[in-house]
Amino acid sequence: MAHAAEAIAAGKCSVALITLAGRPRSEGHSGATPRIRGADAPDTQWEFPLGVATVNAYAMVAARHMHQFGTTSEQLAWVKVAASHHAQYNEHAMLRDVVTVEQVVGSPLIATPLHRLDCCVVSDGGGALVVVSPEIARSLKRPLVKVMGAGESMKGQMGGNVDLTYSAGVRSGPAAFAEAGVKPSDIKYASIYDSFTITVVVQLEDLGFCEKGQGGRFVADGNLISGVGRLPFNTDGGGLCNNHPANRGGITKVIEAVRQLRGEAHPKVQVPNCDIALAHGTGGLLGSRHGGATLIMERE
Amino acid sequence: MAKERSIPAPMSSPETEPFWAAARQGKFLIKTCTSCGKAHWYPRACCPHCMSETTEWVESPGRGTIYSVSVMKRAPEVYAIAYVTLEEGPTMMTNIVECDFDKVAIGDKVQLTWRPTQDDGPPYPVFKPA
Ligand SMILES: [Zn+2]
Repeated sequence: MAHAAEAIAAGKCSVALITLAGRPRSEGHSGATPRIRGADAPDTQWEFPLGVATVNAYAMVAARHMHQFGTTSEQLAWVKVAASHHAQYNEHAMLRDVVTVEQVVGSPLIATPLHRLDCCVVSDGGGALVVVSPEIARSLKRPLVKVMGAGESMKGQMGGNVDLTYSAGVRSGPAAFAEAGVKPSDIKYASIYDSFTITVVVQLEDLGFCEKGQGGRFVADGNLISGVGRLPFNTDGGGLCNNHPANRGGITKVIEAVRQLRGEAHPKVQVPNCDIALAHGTGGLLGSRHGGATLIMERE
Repeated sequence: MAKERSIPAPMSSPETEPFWAAARQGKFLIKTCTSCGKAHWYPRACCPHCMSETTEWVESPGRGTIYSVSVMKRAPEVYAIAYVTLEEGPTMMTNIVECDFDKVAIGDKVQLTWRPTQDDGPPYPVFKPA
């Protein structure tokens, strides 16, 4: 999105198309299966033989967060509970049943301390975004949504200075807020990448929605449920309940944020007066190395 | 003991060949930087902390503390993946073996040990309770 907006602002194009699609479910992928991520990457010989799957890399982040900040499985479960409250209204969602904290922590442990219901779905799917110049946007007779600010960053194992308590969002978030000229309390709706419940907690902290270490408390008691809490998130049901095309969540996060800004989300989850929204994604593994991207948009 | 997960052979590179050659001798080498004095992991030709090219191999006794750990339950053989912080400073991704999977925890002291790898690959560095 940010690259498309930059290209348009620089006059290199006036319409940009961004697409994503994949069929990991049909192809039999599982987040519990170790897979080689870049055989020629220098990190691979130090990771792949150890059985790094997706889920246990994120589980190490959760274990450390619990140890260092006292975060509980029940608090993490609230992320899934909120997603399920939203997914019940999405007829396309894979998982539409509302679940309770007890059901999440009572589901089988996959990689300690993460349970089956702490994990996102594996789904086929795709999405597309069209980014256009202001002149074209005004000719389209659709509600106008503008990019206010964006940030990108990366994080690795830092030559052994490993700190699993934060993500690349600590840099992409402030960059996006600075460019947009707004602060976390101005955000009416947030799409937050949710490969696992812990992913949401860490990223919310990094984006400044709460203090580092307070993410578990922040998400508890329905604080992410639209119409109930302070920060409605992933009102399509997110990766935890709706879909996770190509094992990624970025494009669906932007799509739902745009729906919210246009007032086109499901009426049961539409945030009233949604004028500023944020979308944040992570690519890679929070537990080893990843990129992070933050996008802030407004309704004109 | 339950059956242990078999470890695939690591790919090596010119940069890391000395590590795997030493591993075949039972020696655990890490890289330190003679410019900034810091050790790093995984081993590189250039120091990731200060970008100096003056790095050297040193043998480590392989003593450390678990920084984080997760026990993989949904696998044919249960195994523990972890980050262990070495006494020399760097934190490395590894497995914890010869442990009680219900009790292994952050803060546990651990000691380096080796596991054979598939296809006659070099032994792989893992850790057991100290
Ligand atoms: Zn150095």
